[in-house]
Amino acid sequence: MGVMRISHINIRVLDMEASLKHYVNVIGMKVVHTDAAGSVYLKCWDEWDKYSVVLTEADVAGIINVGYKVENNADLDEFKQRITDYGTAVEDIAEGALPFVGRALKFSIPSGHVMYLYADKEYVGTDVGTINPEPWPDGLVGAGVHWLDHALLMSEFDIDKGINRVEDNTKFMIDVLDFYLVEQILVGPEGDQQLATWLSVSNTPHDIAFVGGPINGLHHLAFFMDSWDDVLKAADVMGKNKVKIDVTPQRHGVTRGYTIYFFDPSGNRNETFGGLGYLAQRDRPVTTWTEDQIGSGIFYHTGVLNEAFTTVYT
Amino acid sequence: MNVVRDENQSFVVTIEDTGESFSCQSRQHVLSAMSRMGKKGIPSGCHGGGCGVCKIQINDGAYETKKMSRAHISATEEASGCVLACRVFPRSDLSLCVIGKLQKNILKKTDKPL
Ligand code: FES
Ligand SMILES: [Fe+2]
Repeated sequence: MGVMRISHINIRVLDMEASLKHYVNVIGMKVVHTDAAGSVYLKCWDEWDKYSVVLTEADVAGIINVGYKVENNADLDEFKQRITDYGTAVEDIAEGALPFVGRALKFSIPSGHVMYLYADKEYVGTDVGTINPEPWPDGLVGAGVHWLDHALLMSEFDIDKGINRVEDNTKFMIDVLDFYLVEQILVGPEGDQQLATWLSVSNTPHDIAFVGGPINGLHHLAFFMDSWDDVLKAADVMGKNKVKIDVTPQRHGVTRGYTIYFFDPSGNRNETFGGLGYLAQRDRPVTTWTEDQIGSGIFYHTGVLNEAFTTVYT
Repeated sequence: MNVVRDENQSFVVTIEDTGESFSCQSRQHVLSAMSRMGKKGIPSGCHGGGCGVCKIQINDGAYETKKMSRAHISATEEASGCVLACRVFPRSDLSLCVIGKLQKNILKKTDKPL
């Protein structure tokens, strides 16, 4: 029973052609479907479900919704009850309303970000298959990322007005969806305000994260890579393709991940996240970063939080 | 007769607020030219027309634009030369002033300064 992992993210892009060049040639995904409205569905080589990223052309950038996959259809009934009991409106979505996806639940987490849960998505297999597979397929393009790893959602945060959607979201994810807290940044006069949280529902250091900002939005979507070498090569690919890099290869103090922050052609931040960091466990003690060490938490080597981190997002 | 267009035509961009100027090729957006030449003045963010921090007002000169987020630039603003520097490609020398700023760090609102 329960949520397994992030299964899709649907984002807005300003220019579909430029975006496809980015997600195909730089990230290394494949286009698997285009729907009647023109949204394009893409898949990474190591994913077995039909798609993980959906691009929708619009006149603004940012996130439309995010979907998490649960283990069984019966889980949806249980989650529907829990979400309702929490006082949150939840909608039943018929099979196929999300392409290639079974019945789903649609609701908003406390910040207002729209989330789906579903158990079934069309299985197509990874590019190496399941019988005596090669470690990686031939013909990988660009960074050749493995899979969509997590999303970081900017959530409204205004201490003076007593608004902290990071905290509200975190409580919701834990109480209702059985995520567990892995790391957090605490700030404020009493050092008790969650400015940022990283939550897991599996054994990766985070399956979702929240950071406080002036308005809700998308901070980044992240793709998994094996190693530091892969992250370096991904940065080379970005240099070649004149991709706007926000932060060059570096280690996150939080989650210990190897990271690059960069932007897609509509300004949506992407991340290539390498290494497992550590094996997250439900009983692993929560790691806390204090307000005076935020810089090291985010960018471990420089210890400097660049201005863009909490101000530049879509 | 074939008209050969010079892809590498270079123009001078002047930031009125600071008096700083730099050259920008016609195929290059203003923000990229500024950053690649190590100049400062316009806040630099996503370089994709999505985040809005590089908002400028162009007071003089000709340019072309690419699509920019309506969350940050309305159609009226766009028509009056209020645009995102990362979506502006010069077609003549440009003179502009800076509107966008990196919003204050969220933490400065707390009582305990960093
Ligand atoms: S830098 Fe983000 S809109 Fe120009
Ligand atoms: Fe991340």
